[in-house]
Amino acid sequence: MKLIFALLAMLPLACGGQASAGRVLTLTGSSTIAPLAAEMGLRFEAVNPGSRVDVQSGGSSRGIADVRAGHADIGMASRALAASEEDLTPVTIARDGVALIVHADNVVTELTSEQVRRIYLGEASDWSEFGGTSGPITVVNKAEGRATLTVFLEHFGLDSRAIQADVIAGENEQAIKTVAGTPGAIGYVSIGTAMVDREAGVTIKLLALDGVQATHQNVSSGAYPLSRPLNLVLTTSPSPLALEFIEFARAPEQNDLILRESFVPMAEKL
Amino acid sequence: MRRESGLKALLWAISMGVCALLVWIVADLVSRGTGPISLEFLMAAPRDAGRAGGIGSLLVSTFWIVAVATGVALPIGFFSAVLLAEDTHSRMSRAVRSCLDMLNAVPSIVFGLFGNALFCVALGMGYSILSGGLTLSCMILPILIRTMEQSLRAVPKEQRFAASALGLSDVTTLFRVLLPPASSGMAVGLILGVGRALSETAALIFTAGYVTRFPDNLLDSGRSLSVHIFDLAMNVPGADERAYASALVLVVILFVINSCVRLAARHFQARLAT
Repeated sequence: MKLIFALLAMLPLACGGQASAGRVLTLTGSSTIAPLAAEMGLRFEAVNPGSRVDVQSGGSSRGIADVRAGHADIGMASRALAASEEDLTPVTIARDGVALIVHADNVVTELTSEQVRRIYLGEASDWSEFGGTSGPITVVNKAEGRATLTVFLEHFGLDSRAIQADVIAGENEQAIKTVAGTPGAIGYVSIGTAMVDREAGVTIKLLALDGVQATHQNVSSGAYPLSRPLNLVLTTSPSPLALEFIEFARAPEQNDLILRESFVPMAEKL
Repeated sequence: MRRESGLKALLWAISMGVCALLVWIVADLVSRGTGPISLEFLMAAPRDAGRAGGIGSLLVSTFWIVAVATGVALPIGFFSAVLLAEDTHSRMSRAVRSCLDMLNAVPSIVFGLFGNALFCVALGMGYSILSGGLTLSCMILPILIRTMEQSLRAVPKEQRFAASALGLSDVTTLFRVLLPPASSGMAVGLILGVGRALSETAALIFTAGYVTRFPDNLLDSGRSLSVHIFDLAMNVPGADERAYASALVLVVILFVINSCVRLAARHFQARLAT
């Protein structure tokens, strides 16, 4: 106990030391972006000795409130800014989204939102209804508590209890393996992971949704409906260090970090 | 007679059920979480958003957060409990008691937002181990005070009367007569408080923060183990095994603290009673 008080008493000395440590950048906001931003921060610290990047979580709205109030240099928001937030500047560093996947041999190439809804509600159970080869549809759903499930339910206006699933997958990889090994299966996974696996030759196909192909270009432009931007948010007078970090975060050299978090990079080279 | 033995069997079954729940949780953690545990896991800072590296820096942050919380809450809690146990019936003490009970029922996220507004912003401590520890100290105070007070009040009145009859001073009565029998109950209060502080997540996200590097001092932001477990389970794909491993470490720490406090209480009891 005495030790603790002694240490508490020494605090002012410690603060004095810290003030001279120099450039500290604070980011707060979306818990979806936080792990990615923290990794970018570590890399930024490594190439900019003397600087420190502190990433705090707490939700998109918190990030916006903090950057406005000056408690943070950069806010993180995993959504587009609302009209009431026009005083702030968003910079999209990556996109997060959900891809609908089927087995590569499936002849169906696109579905509408209404068709997806019917499949997941169990109202349609044969691929012939959608122009595919006749055969039962195996519905792969995500386990409760997964971010992809939340995005999926929200977009299609579904209630998780109403979904008639044949298989429930936890991880993205588990869902992809199930679909890749089941010719009649349909599932949905994080779009970054699906793209990387498709490129690596896994036997899955990304379906177009409402006529929009799930290509890299359509996702990064925002045309693909099942995706959202991951924004770093600045005030009109950002600090030089904040601008430096934003430029760093947007560089293609950071794409590997973005892909590792299952997001889609903005820079063209995948 | 038969009814009595039937009732006994039922009660046994219920308490066995409670134990089975604990065994189940621990077995689940052990079976899924032992994989990543190694010396490096316990010493290193996390890398790759927690999918690689270890939890060393988080253990250091967690230790300091809990140390600040108990270091501040224990003396305040102890003396408040002594006062409340002596002054059982005044209007003031009844008001304090009902305030404490209400405070105890406040959700921890509310403490988090309060701590953020008071310590991080108004007092300018920022996201720091100090803010987190002070927020937790506010949070565990009610449970500390109330359990300590209960255990002091459980000492039979006759012992107090005997102490006054012998002309012992109030301080001597407290340390020689009241504390020895009350110490094991007070230890339970301490265990509950430390346990609550160790397992707290919501109040710390907004106060101690999310930073995973080794803290240099108490004004650095530091992620606690429970916040890390929450983050790995909810926000980081592909880190489930490490979430289990971190949870296993947290449970082991809780067991160790539990046993240490109990041992210390027994030692204290024996020393004061002689």
